[in-house]
Amino acid sequence: MRPISRRTSLALGLGAAAGTAFGEGAATKAEAAIAAFTGGANIAPGDVTLILPEIAENGFTVPIEVAAPGAEAILVLAPANPNPEVATFTFGPLSGAQRASTRIRLAQSQEVIAIARMDGGRYIEARRSVEVTLGGCGAPT
Amino acid sequence: MAENVTPRVRVPATATAGEVVTIKTLISHRMESGERRDEAGRRVPRSIIHRFVARFNGETVIDVAMEPAISTNPFFEFDARVPESGTMTFAWYDDDGSIYEEAREIVVE
Amino acid sequence: MTHHRRTVLGGLAAGSAAFAAPMVMAQGVPRVVVVGGGAGGATAARYLALESGGAVEVTLIEPSRSYFTCFFSNLYIGGLRDMQSLGHGYGTLAAEYGINVVHDWAVAVDRDARVVALASGASVPYDRLILSPGIDFKNGAVPGWDVTAQDDMPHAYRGGTQAELLKSQILAMPEGGTFAMIAPPDPYRCPPGPYERISMVATTLKAMNPRAKILIVDPKEGFSKQALFEEGWQRHYGGMIERIGPDFGGAAVSVDPAAMRIDIDGIVEDVDVCNVIPAQRAGRVAHEAGLTEGDWAPVNAADMSSRLDPAVHVLGDAAAQGDMPKSAFSANSQARVCASAVLGALTDARVFPAVYANTCWSLIAPDDGVKVGASYEATEEKIARVDGFISELGEDAETRADTYRESLGWYDEITADMFG
Repeated sequence: MRPISRRTSLALGLGAAAGTAFGEGAATKAEAAIAAFTGGANIAPGDVTLILPEIAENGFTVPIEVAAPGAEAILVLAPANPNPEVATFTFGPLSGAQRASTRIRLAQSQEVIAIARMDGGRYIEARRSVEVTLGGCGAPT
Repeated sequence: MAENVTPRVRVPATATAGEVVTIKTLISHRMESGERRDEAGRRVPRSIIHRFVARFNGETVIDVAMEPAISTNPFFEFDARVPESGTMTFAWYDDDGSIYEEAREIVVE
Repeated sequence: MTHHRRTVLGGLAAGSAAFAAPMVMAQGVPRVVVVGGGAGGATAARYLALESGGAVEVTLIEPSRSYFTCFFSNLYIGGLRDMQSLGHGYGTLAAEYGINVVHDWAVAVDRDARVVALASGASVPYDRLILSPGIDFKNGAVPGWDVTAQDDMPHAYRGGTQAELLKSQILAMPEGGTFAMIAPPDPYRCPPGPYERISMVATTLKAMNPRAKILIVDPKEGFSKQALFEEGWQRHYGGMIERIGPDFGGAAVSVDPAAMRIDIDGIVEDVDVCNVIPAQRAGRVAHEAGLTEGDWAPVNAADMSSRLDPAVHVLGDAAAQGDMPKSAFSANSQARVCASAVLGALTDARVFPAVYANTCWSLIAPDDGVKVGASYEATEEKIARVDGFISELGEDAETRADTYRESLGWYDEITADMFG
């Protein structure tokens, strides 16, 4: 994998990523993460599958599946988490399908974003709203 | 955290040449997010597995950069193409420098 | 029932360890025999004696002189109850209610002759029989484990000494050691019980051995109150608890009790404590009596009578009744319905309509109680769920503490309902 420093330059021009449901700091962090992944390239809606429950009872463990046929990599973001980045899946030559499932923490209800990097440096995305009954990022006990 | 970490993988023992097989992995790890506070109100320092890689005969299948938002006991499911008989290897990289590894043979019939 | 007769029968019961001679019955008084002195049997016996006013003769057959409740034994493992507080005797049922309490094993039932055979060789005739024998473990359910291994890998799924053994093993775990539970497949006694136990083991380990690890090997995709437990486990115990479901071999586990090793579909792990809760079936006497189909004894919802013999009723965990979970609360609820139906059949007593209820409380951590429950009605087909409730995620601490206190009140109520 090409190591990507995701805490490098804060790129610009990604106002679309900044919703109103979360604060300026979180929006900026999400923008920065997207910029680090795309290098500032345009992102279009596209053939990205993002499967999440509409209502996640327990935010500590929310099942998620992402897929984008032909993708080199998929970045998953939860912009309203304290740290918006969730994971970056990079698919190698022996990937059988550009698809992965895992379980994630969501601190609150929000719109989760999956951005896929396709051949030739195209970027496409999907977004999915999740209602979180009980946030899972580490409230004090 | 290097103690008590058990990687588990589900890999078919056999495949046909070129077949796409589904792999599941699970590893016991607290994935301390760095956001949690203990009962005394102190922030518990971050301690996570930050990377997971699966390879087949040395070629990458999937390489995951993991953040604290990955749940406790990280689980992954993904697909691998199996061109010939060989070894699927798995490696999880801990913040503390530990690497947990697992391997499985797949025989192409 | 006169006070005089109660006293005589109570005295007889108290000295009945070698109860061998057939009882001399008052002419024409119907005889009800109850097998099993737990939440189903003891409740049924008590209500029959209480409500009949002497119009029926009640015999209760139960091997234990002191009955240690399986319910609340998890709280003992969590250090919140002592074992003594879970023990109950049958003296009040014998002395105050005039029940013939026979401490023996019921080993067989001759349904044609209407006689229960006891391990001592004695036999007890009945007009109506109520079986409440609880559970038995299925042989071979967990390869490598049988009841002879229960000292090394305890099930602790009946009250008393097994819970004490399990707790002593937990306290003796090496620092950073591993506690494993082999969880049972559905259906089994007390659906949230294994997961409340995990919570209570974690409470004990968090205080004494915080680097220890808890592993649940589970053949089921999901379990009762799962979201509540998993959220609570994260909140109270961080990542101490790991559950291996069927997708990682949770349904393909074998054990080696001598080596203290478990094999999860090919992955071998050394463990320090292993709590094996095997697959279950109706208590043995229900099978011996020929009242089971498969693992459980099918019953009619209206009166808990066996679908195979109208003169026999089956209560509690052993019954296949429909939608109610196998729990002490359920057994107690079924026992009241059954007692009313039996009295109505044997005397001219009024029969109350069959309505059932259940609540299962679970403790996730001290003062963090949750509950799930429902009401039920009798249909032709089964005991059918009407509506229910469950604790919510994110309830405040006071609500959870109230729920726990409610469960303490329930324990006092049900044990009074069972033992007088």
